[in-house]
Amino acid sequence: MIKISNAHKTFVKPATRKTPERKVEVLNGIDLDIQENEFITIVGPSGCGKTTLLRAIAGLVKLDSGSIVAAGETVAGPSPDRAMVFQSFALMPWANVIRNVAFGLEIRGVDKEEREQTARDLIKTVGLAGFENSLPSELSGGMKQRVGLARALAVNPRILLMDEPFGGLDEQTKRLMQEELLRLWEAQRKTVVFVTHSLDEAILLADRCILMAARPGRITEVLDIPLGRPRTREAERTSTYIDLKEKIWDHLRTAQIQELAEKAN
Amino acid sequence: MSIVGGLALFDLAARISKQPFIPEMSDVFVRIFELLTDQDVLSDFNRSLQNLFLGFTISVVFGILIGVLCGRYDTVERTLRPYLNLMLTSPSILFVPIYFAIFGISRWAIIVLIIDYSVFFLIVSVTTAVQSVSKETVEMASVFGATEKQTLRLIYLPSAMPVIFTALRVTVGRAVKGMINGELFIAVVGIGARSQSFARQLDMVGVFALAIIVVCIALLLGAFLNVFDKRVNSWAPQARASK
Repeated sequence: MIKISNAHKTFVKPATRKTPERKVEVLNGIDLDIQENEFITIVGPSGCGKTTLLRAIAGLVKLDSGSIVAAGETVAGPSPDRAMVFQSFALMPWANVIRNVAFGLEIRGVDKEEREQTARDLIKTVGLAGFENSLPSELSGGMKQRVGLARALAVNPRILLMDEPFGGLDEQTKRLMQEELLRLWEAQRKTVVFVTHSLDEAILLADRCILMAARPGRITEVLDIPLGRPRTREAERTSTYIDLKEKIWDHLRTAQIQELAEKAN
Repeated sequence: MSIVGGLALFDLAARISKQPFIPEMSDVFVRIFELLTDQDVLSDFNRSLQNLFLGFTISVVFGILIGVLCGRYDTVERTLRPYLNLMLTSPSILFVPIYFAIFGISRWAIIVLIIDYSVFFLIVSVTTAVQSVSKETVEMASVFGATEKQTLRLIYLPSAMPVIFTALRVTVGRAVKGMINGELFIAVVGIGARSQSFARQLDMVGVFALAIIVVCIALLLGAFLNVFDKRVNSWAPQARASK
């Protein structure tokens, strides 16, 4: 469904009066094949390029070299096949829930009645029925992200890109949202690429978990998550789960310590 | 309340001091009534307000258009910025002879002066408003495949609207200033001319009466804008706070 071949990206921070020009290699030869309807999570320390990789799949970041083929086409920019859910929600504060959810359809020129019907259905699906006419400022963080999720699903994409979507939520809301996402994904399978900081999230949701490291940003390991589907919180109590968590934490801790050491030098 | 108090104080001062340049408020109000029923005065107002309306409308259209372009495209902003600063900081009244030379003693000279007073401020405000639109929302629109035109219409404009309305309220005041200055210094017509003739006759009651009417017109226009503001920007914290 998504094939990433030898992807390279370097950000250049221009020189200022105080600091010389700095180059940061955020993606260094990334190769990754993602199957149709596979749920992929990406974990890594900050600066490892996981968000850049996601944005490159979305078509928001242009690669220096290498290619990404998604749903049969080479990524050159945003496409209706790929929708994104943002950490900061990125809702339009002046528009009510229904208009926010229908935004992608409005962009595509779907007429008002049809797109609002689709939006209403999805608002129900994500559990926000009754809030159709509320403004984002009247919603809690979890509710805002439900809107963000409904907006992404409204355009019926084949690929769902999620950039730390629950990163800004409190713990209990986050857990609830994870369960909701699992439920939604079971009901309506899609290819999902999900960037996260949370170890539990990375294991609980995924079919495969990609571990990345920084400087240069690269994939260090790809872990299969052999937990059954449909998956519930029960999985967290299995020994497989606990072993996996240990493994990922080992990896992250090493990366984190390395980073500290590099900074100290 | 504070306005009523101020007027009462003023009236008191007038009665005690008996100075001819501080008229009694009661006289002023009688005169306001007389002026508003006088056909000649009304036609003066008609003429002045037509100019004001034209000048203001043109300013709003170009102010928002150019402001949005400046806010969205750095090149446009960099190109126009020196001229905008120049026009904003220099007293508009200095350009009167130029407008006079181009348009002669016509209403267009006044209208251009009104635009001069209001459009540059509006452009600069709208530019800032558009520049401060959240990058994430813009990026979100591009992920969903929004074209440049859609992004301007569906993201930039509504997002900048609250600041644009605040700027519009200031712009109304500036446009009224432009109108009066134009009528005093370019073509001696309309309200400005009438005020000048009252002043020459040392008719302070008349001067005050006219001033109060003009201020009320500006306030009315402002209130009119407020109604729209609350409709369009009911989502924004500042608009809701003033509900």
